[in-house]
Amino acid sequence: MGMRKVAVIGAGMTKFVRRALETPKELSWEAAKMALDSCELTMDDVDGVCFGTAPDAFDGVHMNGEYCSDGAGAWNKPFMRCFVGGGTGVFVPIQGWYHVASGLFDVVLVVAEEKMSSYYPHAQAAFLTIFDHTTERPLKPNLLWIFALEMNRYMTTYGIRKEDIARVSVQHKRNAANHPCALLGEANITVEDVLNSEVLAWPVQRFDVSPVSDGAVALVLAAEHVAKRLTDKPVWIEGVGWHLDTAYWTNRDLAYPRYVEYAAKMAYDMAGIKEPRKEIHIAEPYDPFDYKALHHLEGLQLAERGKAIELYLSGAAAPDGDLPICPSGGLLGVGNPIAAAGLMKVAELFWQLRSEAGARQVPGQPRRGLAQAWGDLMQVGTVIVMGR
Amino acid sequence: MTLLERDREAPSAWKGSLPVTSRYTYGLAGERFFRALKDEGKILASYCPKCDHTYVPAVNFCERCLSELTEWQDAGLVGVLHTYTLLFVDFEGQPLDEPELIGFISFGDGGIIHKLDANPDELEIGMPMKAVLKPQKERSGSILDIRCFQPVNK
Repeated sequence: MGMRKVAVIGAGMTKFVRRALETPKELSWEAAKMALDSCELTMDDVDGVCFGTAPDAFDGVHMNGEYCSDGAGAWNKPFMRCFVGGGTGVFVPIQGWYHVASGLFDVVLVVAEEKMSSYYPHAQAAFLTIFDHTTERPLKPNLLWIFALEMNRYMTTYGIRKEDIARVSVQHKRNAANHPCALLGEANITVEDVLNSEVLAWPVQRFDVSPVSDGAVALVLAAEHVAKRLTDKPVWIEGVGWHLDTAYWTNRDLAYPRYVEYAAKMAYDMAGIKEPRKEIHIAEPYDPFDYKALHHLEGLQLAERGKAIELYLSGAAAPDGDLPICPSGGLLGVGNPIAAAGLMKVAELFWQLRSEAGARQVPGQPRRGLAQAWGDLMQVGTVIVMGR
Repeated sequence: MTLLERDREAPSAWKGSLPVTSRYTYGLAGERFFRALKDEGKILASYCPKCDHTYVPAVNFCERCLSELTEWQDAGLVGVLHTYTLLFVDFEGQPLDEPELIGFISFGDGGIIHKLDANPDELEIGMPMKAVLKPQKERSGSILDIRCFQPVNK
């Protein structure tokens, strides 16, 4: 297709915390500066900046992309903010990718930031106005409702037990215990802890859900000729995909995320992947809820429908398994500052594929990884495949 | 303790429904800038030696090169009137009893937008303007700790 090869050559992230003192600009700056420093570049080397942040309401600043632009390094540069809700964190590196793949820029700085703690009393209220004002809002719905309804449908369709789904949360939170930026790493958490946690909207309990968090992540993307000059360990973006399902969440198949399947197929075709289960060595599916990781693994064709839980039950999903899932600790363990959380997954692939993931490094020198996020009105899938 | 959390007027408990709002932090730079304004009555600037650029209000990083800014200095209370406007209607479009003056007072390479206490006829762009601060006891760590700016020779 005449596209140039694009590599990730640097990454940085702030700690994910419950309430950061830093302003959104300052969080963005910390991550951007770390990413540039990691590959010894300065702003003089950067041709353009892509910035991702989810609803403005979280940070409490309308046009938050423009507000954070100084921290993201956008001064005097072409600057683009993307927003596809929860899918933003994996979409923003895709946006960076096409600016480099197209030949427009050689080096792009990609930054994702979210400061959810500004919204008070709880970030959940930011979602009040995403629902249809006439048919849904009079019932005062919130996102937990949607997920509880979807989780129940998913469990019932395939006969999956709640105590098995809890294994996802346990695995991810244990993985996060080795992540220096994690908010909810728990080395000793058990299935009983998850099942005994507060019921929020049955079957969703407190430990089935990722936390409200603040944080930022940044990557540096470079065209092949620049990447090869700057690093011995470029991590190539081999495939990207994104896809949208119906705007009516009532008209979607709640037991199977078709939007993820189509996004993944787009990315696999680009990467030349025919058998994802064999050709993907680590996966970072989007896991704001534990059942969602399973749901997405099935959409990603990494498991048969209703069978993703077997990856966890068999140990395949563990860091030393044959398909480590969310070795970072995922949103359930590291935290979920929306856009930053998705980009954290892509940064995790970068570190894992370069064997720079420290205590959470998976064995076997994985060659190829996948990250995925999900968002908009719960109907967009965004997928990126990276390899070394 | 941060400036925000020093707000003793914040209720410790709330009965009934809680309004949805945003609670902002001052940030790393804001904590330092507003503490200096509140406690010492100073307006602080931060300087980037690499870009030769001075930020007022002070920030902790340079947006041009992303360097951390460690050279903070007292910008003084006197800036230069860069531009101004005279307001005749309020926020809701209602006529004001008395027109209000709003000015942009430049300090370094930045500046502060604030209320002016002056006779509009005596204002000249380029003239020096001085910050009038509230008494220290009344200052809370807010941009409104500066009551207004007025001509230096007033």
